[in-house]
Amino acid sequence: MGAVKKIRTVCRSCHGGCGVIAHVRDNKVIKVEGDPASPISQGTMCSKGLAITQLAYHPDRIRHPMKKTEKGWERISWDDALDTVVAKFKSVMDASGPESIVIGQGTGRDYESHLYRFANLLGTPNVLTAGHMCYVSRVGATLITCGNLPVADWHGHPRCIVMWGCNPQWTNPDEHKGVDFWSAYKKGAKLIVIDPRKGFLAKKADLWLQIRPGTDGALAMGFMNVIIEEDLYDKDFVNHYVHGWDAFVERAKEYPLEAVESITWIPKDLIRRAARMYAKTKPAILQWGVPTEQTINCTDCTRALVGLMAATGNLDAPGGNVFFVPPKVRSVSAFSRHKDLAPEQRKKQLGGDQYKLAARVALISPKAAWDAILTGKPYPLKAGLLCGTNPVVTRANAREAYAALKKLEFLAVMDFFMTPTADLADIFLPAGTWLEQNHIADNWKRHGYALAREKAVDIGECWQDHKIFMELGKRMGQEWFSTVETALDYLLEPSGLTWEEFKKVGYLKGEMAYHKYRQKGFSTPTGKVELLSTALEKWGHDPLPKYTEVPESPVSTPDLLDEFPYILNAGLRTPTFFHSANRMIPWLREIRPDPIVEIHPETAKKHGIAAGQWVTIASPRGRVKQRAKLNFGIDPRVVVAEHGWWFPEMKEEGHGWDISNINILTDNAPETLDPVMAATNLRVCLCNISPCEDQEEMNGWRN
Amino acid sequence: MEKLTLMFFKKECMGCHACEVACKQEHELGIGPRLVRVVENAPDFFPIHCHHCANAPCKVSCPVEAISRNERGIVLIDKGLCIGCKACLEACPFGAMQYDNATETAVKCDLCIERLNHNEAPACSNACPTRCIFWGVAAKLNEKLEKPVLSG
Repeated sequence: MGAVKKIRTVCRSCHGGCGVIAHVRDNKVIKVEGDPASPISQGTMCSKGLAITQLAYHPDRIRHPMKKTEKGWERISWDDALDTVVAKFKSVMDASGPESIVIGQGTGRDYESHLYRFANLLGTPNVLTAGHMCYVSRVGATLITCGNLPVADWHGHPRCIVMWGCNPQWTNPDEHKGVDFWSAYKKGAKLIVIDPRKGFLAKKADLWLQIRPGTDGALAMGFMNVIIEEDLYDKDFVNHYVHGWDAFVERAKEYPLEAVESITWIPKDLIRRAARMYAKTKPAILQWGVPTEQTINCTDCTRALVGLMAATGNLDAPGGNVFFVPPKVRSVSAFSRHKDLAPEQRKKQLGGDQYKLAARVALISPKAAWDAILTGKPYPLKAGLLCGTNPVVTRANAREAYAALKKLEFLAVMDFFMTPTADLADIFLPAGTWLEQNHIADNWKRHGYALAREKAVDIGECWQDHKIFMELGKRMGQEWFSTVETALDYLLEPSGLTWEEFKKVGYLKGEMAYHKYRQKGFSTPTGKVELLSTALEKWGHDPLPKYTEVPESPVSTPDLLDEFPYILNAGLRTPTFFHSANRMIPWLREIRPDPIVEIHPETAKKHGIAAGQWVTIASPRGRVKQRAKLNFGIDPRVVVAEHGWWFPEMKEEGHGWDISNINILTDNAPETLDPVMAATNLRVCLCNISPCEDQEEMNGWRN
Repeated sequence: MEKLTLMFFKKECMGCHACEVACKQEHELGIGPRLVRVVENAPDFFPIHCHHCANAPCKVSCPVEAISRNERGIVLIDKGLCIGCKACLEACPFGAMQYDNATETAVKCDLCIERLNHNEAPACSNACPTRCIFWGVAAKLNEKLEKPVLSG
């Protein structure tokens, strides 16, 4: 047995960023632990990252390229695999143009720079990501409102924290991790939690606002109403730095607290107290999570939240929501070569005419992709390359996603395992985990850091995703780099460091300056925070934020209530899984063996559902099964269900993708999407529950 | 003898299970034995773990004297002596004693004794994102928990 070598690297089991020390012996990672020197995680780690060795060395992991033949999946060489993809892409491009190829990724990960470069140099405007309803949607909405994404400044000594639909300790905040929130909170900051479910943070909170799922935009306007009515806003800031304040004030008047209480189910006195606490306790952070984005109100809600930060003087102020200064490395955008996508190709972007904000941030909605494949309109997508994504489990209206991907003429996937989406592919390209890659991690985030992720080992024939895009790109005749590391040298060039040097440094941080707008204004057409949006005005939309009722709700569709009396809050996150990942990891699955639906005990009783029983959850679009957990911490009118479930232990094609997949129940009809971002209403619809008739079968199947 | 032990400041346990996975990794355990385990009853979380009891019921119950306390007060099991009778599992009032099908022996928290010997914190404590897992001399830990850094 050789000596143990310790390699300092960076996790990517979620979006990533936490510092890790990998213990390597005989070219195998035997253990990982937190890196105390990490500015992001300070030595802590979560269950997902800690379980990486069980993922990396999992017996089911695909360790070499595969090709689907009439006899099933067969092992092939990298040359064969890449040549097959390239030949197919070239023939599609010759026959139908590069726009007939869709390039996709799932949740944001730091191969985005390489994925977009490949797509842009290919000439396709059709990049399909989770960004329409997750993070990029808030980047887009803040871009048109205040020029950049305001990020929580945990180290700036906030005195008040509003945790809005967000649980950064359990899940994966996009920039700083839960550990930073926790240290700010421990220093005595007041805590306001907005969550339909009483979780750990709600228990800790000074004020907990149990909101009706999907009504965040109305609550934000309610906060604003109080702040204006009680004269709690920063007059100097709104006078000098807000465009459209007077119009915005008029709009906020449309949200008196009586109305907001009736929309959100939150008592008006509680809303008033929370709004006062946020406005009066300075500085204050407003950390918001994806539930606010995964609705028809995505853009408006984000804009209203920025309005709160601006009106209270917390924008780009220490301890508020700030614009971090990036370190001196080449930006993802520059590496991605967005400017090289020809204007005539850009014009062909699916849904680009309609969803202008999505077009602005260079992505298409899944609905547009599925429609193009299934109906051929406005033109058919013929081939696809999907990286680290499992849309048949994670996108709304899963059956449509499944049908579309199945119909695609040619599909290549990059992943670790044969997922339900990979099952539909023709070529499988085995990607390396974060233990198997050299990269400048976290370079796409807006927290001011770039981190060195150093390769610990190679496993099988797996390649890091960056290399796969690069080698495919070169074979397509695109301009790339000789090696992964020379690309990193290029990314690092402005810092004056090479990859070899950067590895030793560990991380770079941009030099922070606050209140930058005082010198430069905001990066919007008016140079101000545009609560009255010039972009939305130009695109023909309401330029002021408003609340639109959830498309399927007791208010919008009362006729459905007889059959579907409950609000389904879909997409409960768990600390062991990341979206559809990790269900095959023994250590994690042992902790959470089953998909869980949480039901209020009174509601469960009404339906004869006991704790631990399998429950059928039905919506107008279908039915799935999850196991009941009774929870007094949710409203009896609301049912809360986990997302991302499939069953890697089921070996047949599909891996049980439709048994517990909550997105069988969600909707993606065009009229339910955010009008400028195409954000999908992934969180809220109506449902009914009943005990499964086949309890024994369900239990037996899992054992 | 100053008793060493592990303590959770339960009010700050948020149920992330990082301690469980860190423990499994450190002790190279598969499915089955969970030397530390967080039971969820949202919004509350209850960590189940070995208290390294002074007059340890597991030790008392063991018919073959496979369980002992070392000079630092850490209750340890000698898997070579264990006959897998599970008497200790029944005796433990906390449910902290575990059985490992892979070795057909009982298995328990050893406070990461090898890590302690290298002046490293136990794996669970090391990973915990809220820093609610403490280890050290039992009497001093009690003081710490009586005056937690954070109220409430």
